[in-house]
Parts: sequence; C-alpha cells; structure tokens
Amino acid sequence: MTVTALGTARVRRPSVRLRRLEDERWLALALLSPTAVLLGLFIAYPFAEGVLLSLSSAKVGDPGVFVGLKNFAKLADDNIFWTAVWNTFWYTGVTTVFKLGLGLWLAMLLNRHFRGKALVRAFILLPFIIPTVLSTFAWKWMFDPTFSVINWSLFHLGFIKARINWLGDPTLAMTSIMIVNIWRGVPFFAISLLAGLQTISPELNEAAAIDGARPWARFWYVTWPLLLPVTMVVMLFSVIQTFADFQLVYVMTGGGPANATHLFATYAYQIGIVSGLLSEGAAVSLAMFPFLFIIVVVQLLYIRRVETR
Amino acid sequence: MGQTKRRSVIKLAGSAAAVASTGMAGILATGRTPAYAQTKTVHWLRWVDFVPASDTLMRKELMPQAEKDLGIKINFETVNGNDLQPRTTAAIQSGTGPDLIQAFNNTTYIYGNSVVDLSDLAEDLGKREGGIYKYARSICSDGKMFMSMPWAVIGAMIAYRKSWFDEVGATSFPKTWQEYRDVAKKLKANGHPVGQTLGHTFGDAPTFTYPYLWSWGGKEVEADGKTVAINSKETVESVKFMAGFWKDGCDEGALAWDDTNNNRAFLSQTISATLNGASIYIETLRKPDQYQTEKGTPMNKDILHSPLPAGPAGQYGMHLLQSDMLMKYSKNQDAAKEFLKWIHAEKNFEKWFVSQKGFATPCTAKWEEHKVWTEDPVMAPFKVAARLGQAPGYAGLPNGKAAEALSKYIVTDMYAKAVQGMPAEDAVKWAEGELKKIYSA
Amino acid sequence: MIEGALWRRWVFYNIPLALFVFVLLFPFYWMIITSFRPDGELYRPWNAVNYMPFWTNHPTLEHFRYLFEETDFGRWMVNTMFIAATSTLISLFCGVLAGYALARLNFPWAGSLGTLIFITYLVPQTLLFIPLAEIIRDFRLGDSPWSLILTYPTFLIPFCTWLMMGYFKAIPKELEECARIDGASRWKAMLYIVIPVAVPGILSSGIIAFTLSWNEFIYALVFLSSPQEKTVAVGVTSELIRGDVFFWGSLMAGALLGSVPVAIVYSFFVEHYVSGLTGSVKG
Repeated sequence: MTVTALGTARVRRPSVRLRRLEDERWLALALLSPTAVLLGLFIAYPFAEGVLLSLSSAKVGDPGVFVGLKNFAKLADDNIFWTAVWNTFWYTGVTTVFKLGLGLWLAMLLNRHFRGKALVRAFILLPFIIPTVLSTFAWKWMFDPTFSVINWSLFHLGFIKARINWLGDPTLAMTSIMIVNIWRGVPFFAISLLAGLQTISPELNEAAAIDGARPWARFWYVTWPLLLPVTMVVMLFSVIQTFADFQLVYVMTGGGPANATHLFATYAYQIGIVSGLLSEGAAVSLAMFPFLFIIVVVQLLYIRRVETR
Repeated sequence: MGQTKRRSVIKLAGSAAAVASTGMAGILATGRTPAYAQTKTVHWLRWVDFVPASDTLMRKELMPQAEKDLGIKINFETVNGNDLQPRTTAAIQSGTGPDLIQAFNNTTYIYGNSVVDLSDLAEDLGKREGGIYKYARSICSDGKMFMSMPWAVIGAMIAYRKSWFDEVGATSFPKTWQEYRDVAKKLKANGHPVGQTLGHTFGDAPTFTYPYLWSWGGKEVEADGKTVAINSKETVESVKFMAGFWKDGCDEGALAWDDTNNNRAFLSQTISATLNGASIYIETLRKPDQYQTEKGTPMNKDILHSPLPAGPAGQYGMHLLQSDMLMKYSKNQDAAKEFLKWIHAEKNFEKWFVSQKGFATPCTAKWEEHKVWTEDPVMAPFKVAARLGQAPGYAGLPNGKAAEALSKYIVTDMYAKAVQGMPAEDAVKWAEGELKKIYSA
Repeated sequence: MIEGALWRRWVFYNIPLALFVFVLLFPFYWMIITSFRPDGELYRPWNAVNYMPFWTNHPTLEHFRYLFEETDFGRWMVNTMFIAATSTLISLFCGVLAGYALARLNFPWAGSLGTLIFITYLVPQTLLFIPLAEIIRDFRLGDSPWSLILTYPTFLIPFCTWLMMGYFKAIPKELEECARIDGASRWKAMLYIVIPVAVPGILSSGIIAFTLSWNEFIYALVFLSSPQEKTVAVGVTSELIRGDVFFWGSLMAGALLGSVPVAIVYSFFVEHYVSGLTGSVKG
C-alpha cells in the first residue's frame, strides 16, 4: 500500500504542473512568457524611456531635465524636419506605386509555364535577400559621378549629352534612392503576388474568355479582385519597411546633399546620434510613430473590409 | 531628480535580470575574464587617414614601439570619419568603448561633460613647443579645462592654376579681396572662372564664408556668446562685395556644388581656383598621367596653394581641427595619459608628421620651422593653416550654439541669398533673425 | 495560358521578362566585375576613351587579398554568422510558442495581444537605440555580440510570431483533438503532434529571420566598437572608406562575399523562403 501510494504520488507530482498546463489560460501564459519578457525588456521599456527622453533636454553625457513638449515645438519650426516628413511620404508613396505596378507585371510574366522558370524565380529574389547596405554600395558605385556605368550607357545609347550628377543634385539624389528601393522591393512584390495568382483557378479566367472578355477586362474583373487581399498585405509590410527606411539613405547620400534627402529615420539618427542631441532625436523618431500608426490602421481596416466582402 | 530615480530602477532591473539569467551571465563572465587578466589595453579610435602611409606607420611602427616602451597593449582602430560622432555618442551612452577618441572641430563641446581634463598634458606640450595656437586652444579648451588634446589641422587653402593666373598678369596670388576680384574678372573673361560653392555642404562652403566674414570685420556674436552681432556695417559691406565678386569672377553654376564638385571641376580644367583641402593636388600627384594641362604637361606642376586673401580686418582661415578626447568612462585613464604623452613626444610625433608630407599642420608654433615645409614648396602655404585658423562662433566660444548655427548654414545662406539677388541689408537681417533663434534659446 | 502568335509571345512575355531579369541582376554582375578589376582600370572616368565597363582583360585577386590581409573580414563573417544564427534560434523559440498560443488557445485578450505584438513591429529603431544603449550598459553587454543577439529578437519575434500564427491557424483543429482523445495532454499534443506538422513553417520563418538579422545595420553600427567584434555590413562600411575615397574593389569584394552565406542558405531552401513570404502574406 504505502509503496503504491508513494509511487502514484511520484507519478502525480510532475503532473500537477502539467495539469495546470491543461488549462488553456495557464498554457497560454507559459507559452507567451518568453516573448513577453524579451519584448517587454527590449521594446516596451525602451519605448517608454524613449518617450520620456523626447520630453527632456537630454544631451549626450547629460541626462537633462523635463521640458515638456519643447522639443516638438522646436521641430515644428525646423525646415529640415518638414523636408524629412515630406520626403518620407513622397518616398513611400512613389516607391510603393512602382513596386506594386512592376511587381504585378513581373508576377504575371512568371505566372505561366516556360523553360527555366524555377531558375528565374530563384534568381530574381536575390535583390531582396542580399543585405541592403552591401547592395546599396554597388548602386552607389554605379551612380558615382565620375565613374558611372549608367552615365556611360545612357551616353552611348544617345540619351544624354552630358554627365548626370546622380547623387549631387537634390532631386536626382532622391530619385536615385527611390530607384534602388524599387529595385530591392519589386522581387518581394512579384513573388508574393505570384503566389496569390497561383491560388486563382485558371478556369475562372478561361470561363471569362469564353464569354468574350478581353484580356484587360479579364484581369480587371476576375484576377484583380481575387488578388486584392494578398496585395493589401504585401503593401502593408512594404509600407512599414519603406517608411522607416534607414540603411539605403545612410549609404547613398547620408541625408545630403544639403539635408535634401533625409527621411525620418536618418534625420533622427543625424540629430540624436551624430549631433548628440538625444532628446531631439527621440522627438523626431517619436513624431514618425503616429504617422506610421495611422497609415497602418487604415490599411488594416481596409484589409478587413476586403476580406469580409 | 526623476532622472536619477529612473536610472537606479534600470540598474535594479538590470542586476535582477542578470541574476535570473545566470546561464547568460555565466557565458559573459567566461567571455570577459581574460580581458581583465591581460596587461592594460588602451583603445584609440581615429579616422581612416587621408594619407594611407600614416596609418601604416601607426600600425606597423609607432604602436608596437609604444607597446614596448610603455608596457601596455594598444588597440588602434580607424573608422570612416563620418562614423566618429555616432560611435562617440554610443560609447558615452553605453559607458563602454574606446579610451581615446578623435574629435573633429568643435564637436569637443558636445562631449565636454564626458571627458577627462587634459590641461596638464596640453599646457606642457604648449610650453615645450612654442605655444598652442589660439585656434586649437579655443576648440580644445573651454577656458576652464582642456576637453581634448590638440592633434593637428587639416588645412583648407585655395588651389589655383599658376599658368592661367600668369596669363592675366597675376604672378603671385592676390593679397586682398579687391585684388582677387580684379584677377578673377580677367580669369572669367578668359573662360577660367573661380569655382566656389555657396551650397549646404559641410566642408567647402563654411570654410570659405566664415573666414570671409571675419576678414571684413563681421562676426556672429559678441565675445559674451549671447549678443547677436551679425547686423553690422562690416557684414553688409562684405555681403555687397560678395555679390559683385560672384558676378564678376565666379562660375555661376557653382551655387549648389557639394564638396566633391569643385575637385572634379578643377581636375577637368573648368575652373582656375577653388578653396579646398590638399586633395586636388594629391590626386594629381597620384595620377600624373591622367591629369594633364591643355598643353599636355602634368597638371601637378601647374598647381599652387594660397591662404584666402585678406580683408579690411585681416586674414583668416577655418580648417578641420583634430584632437583626442580621453573619455571619463575609461578604466585605463592613467595608461591612456601615459600614451598621449608618449605619442606627443617630439621624436614620435615627428615621424607621423613627416609621413603626412604637409597635409596636416600641427597645433603648436614650433613645427612651422620644420624642414617638411621646404621639401615640397607647393605644400608650404599649409604651414600657417593653424596660425590663421579661427573657430566658428567667433567672437564667442565655438560651443554647441555655434555648432548649431554652422550646421544650419546661416552665414553661408546669407551670402547665397545676396548672390541670388536679395538686397544685402535684407540678407543680413534674415541671418540676424535666424541667429537670434539659436542664441536666445 | 492564352498566348497566341509567336511574335506576341516575344513582345509581351519574353522581352519584358528578359529586361526584368537584366535590371534585377545587373548590380550583382557589376559587383563581380568590379571586385576583379585592377585599380588602374577601375579609376578611369566614365567618359575616358578606354573606359571598358563590362569586361576586364586583367582580372586580379588583389582586392580579395586586401580584404583578408588588411582587414578583419574573416572575423566579421564569423561574428555575423554567430549573431544571426543565435538570435534566429531565440526568436524561433519565442515565436513558435507565442504563435501557437495566439492561434490555437482560447484565453482572454488573445486578439489584442496579437495586435500588440504586431504594433511592436512599428516602433522605430531610431527611438529605441539610446534607451537600449543604457540597458546594454546596465547589463554590461557593451561591445559584445550578446548586445545584438538580445536586441535583434525585438524585430524578429513579431515577425516569427505572425508567420507562425498563420501556419498554426491553417492546421486543422481535429488533429489535436484526436490526440487529446487518445489521452495526450495539451502540452504533449502541441509538442509531438502540432509542431512537427508545422516544421515547414518553422523552417521558413527561420530562414527569413536569418536573412533579416544578416541584414541588420543600425544596432550593429551603434553597439559594437572593437574592430574584431564588427559584423560584415558595419565592418565593410567603416573600414573600406577613406576620407572621400572609397576602396571600391575591396568594397565590392566584401559585399559579394558578405552576401554569399545568405545566398547559400536561401538557395537550399528557396521553396520554403517563398512559401514563408506568401505565408506571411496570407496570415
């Protein structure tokens, strides 16, 4: 008797803990705790600290005092900040349109059978997976005013008569940065949209063709609505990344010439880390958050509407 | 107060977490132990030198010698000049990093709270070597302490084409702005204008506009560092003259050039003179076959350097001043000081100075006599770079506010506006308003 | 698909596709050709007569030699590999567990928690790095790979969690229920039944997490200082640029070699990578 009692007790003791895990709430708590600890310690806490920082007068090596919204008031009066805001929206908007358009086109081109399809599909993803900093250097070299292969090609093809000063002129510098971003983003759009296209049954298209619909109409009335949910999610991820982009501008222009190509992230870096005005840098970063938040909420709501339709 | 409390809360959380995750702490502990057991290490962070031979000299010869003489280990690190400031900020905030960090210009004032006073070392150096130039002193010392140890100045001088200046009868470089304007007018008529940017570019624009302003007697603020003094008769005069000078003698497309445009324009023979570091000359020395004059002779034989001309109030320059900060968080401050003393000892510093071939000018008077300056006469004008230098923010200190005004290109924009047609008085008034925003805050 | 005449196929499909492939891959060709070109050819202005952009007759290994002999490039590769692999493992562990909980368990605020984790993905890195620098100081992690291994999961976990949620949602509930009827505990059902089924998903989140951490730049730039601790991206940018002069040959050689590991990982698992991307898209 005693032996068996002991035995069962021994068997049962660990199972007390396991039994607790039978309760979904406890199990969920256990499963979520590593994530909660890491994200709490390295995101939630620094985020709160960052907010406090933006309300202080902290500089590098000087904790500063609480100054309320003074840093934000200063930003409102700062021309470079507004340039950065405008640039960020312009950059995100233009590149997203191009990435979507070109990505969709490429996806359609890939959505059929041809020899070497697997190889092509594997290769075109390269721009997306290679570290941004490294591939951007290749572009910077291609845009180099004195040694530009692009200038050489355009010249010999007869498009230009004189050198194009890609990174030296404010407007052209922004264009160059956008070109690289689009180059990097198109594969992601194309592959994701291709996956979306492949879930659409070919019969639908064929049926529409039999009904006499032109290719353009078939795309617009059959394919596009079915592709919309996937498109929206791809755009969501792309917009988040583009809006907070740092590496590309940092490598290509460092925000120059004359502060003309700053985005939120690079300007925050410039002020906070380079100039050591920690609190003002934090204010710039924080100013980005509501903009991004609103864009994302709008997109999420739209996705929900599209999906329930 | 609130700040202190938060700090201690972090510390508490930090230590609690460290205890909780003994596994990780264990790994860290084992990873760290050898570092403590070693001889003292001094970590020195510098920019990647413009003259590669100097970095090689440091790595292969000077550092091993210092290690032997001082019995310490030296970790000599070089990074891209643009990355120095981010690294400094991160090091201070995270409390770890290099013991000695190189500072550019008046960034010393940004990090003033986080560095160790080096007055004894610097004053000693000054005494030994005929005095520290005013320029270096104003940047390295805030009057109470030496925030950094003066190292050297990378001079900015006008590089010009001797043959083209000869053609218009200027056998020596113009001494005053008025003369320079006359010569430039003739040069432009010959199709070789002067190239000067007034754009938002870190190097070549302010190193031109600030000394220009001072040479006319203009200044941003009074010596008290509070009263904005830009709106003066002298400033207005200088603005008026600049607009005329520009129209008469400058390449009008240069208004928005960046730091590299003038190098290329000079090398491709579109301009006859431009304010720059020695890099144009170095480039032509490096590739004599590639850069030739229209007559087919090597261009490097046709280049000379000169300081900016003088104005009614004297002759000035503004250059890139480098100094080394000893960081407060450093655990090896004594060893680092010993090392600074060692590297600034004449026989050691001289080796480095000679390897620079004149591209860097030391911050003490004694070096003006060195034979380096007679070896390549083209580089000789750079010997006075540090003497003529003055720091932004004059007549006040080159402190954080001065740095802010500099980074907003207020002085440069004042001239650019006038060149683009704004009446001189209005341009000056605009600059006054912008400066007041900064200095009253 | 419906394509029609041969010329139409060329005009509407083959030529545009070839153009896409050309533009997308040209920069890689340019990296390769630059890294093998001798300096003399490299620094010829674009309008020089003998500018020969697309080929070189004198290939050299000089730039690769410089990379390995004059810099710590080998160390940087090892560091990056170690940091990327470890932070990926940590994030996968957290992400799989959290994804399972959010997708398959009923508990209060499950939905809002999922959204919250998504929102952490939006917090700008530039806002976090100063406070993070202080945390790193208090944990004494400065200038050690652990400063990155512990901070990278901040952007990897939200990503992995969302990917895994999508996968777990797609696995039929019945699978678990059958196991539970056979007497398995919830814990065991998750560990032995559901997670094995989700291995393709775990693999693809792992690959994506690995490429993301290989790609990371800001934290690595700010938190690491000793030359021998740097990652590839930071090392290459900070040590191969000299004043206004770029060492283009070595820079491109470094970029090329620095891309190889991700390219290899990815070429083995390209199918998983693609399905991972699309999984995230459907999630």
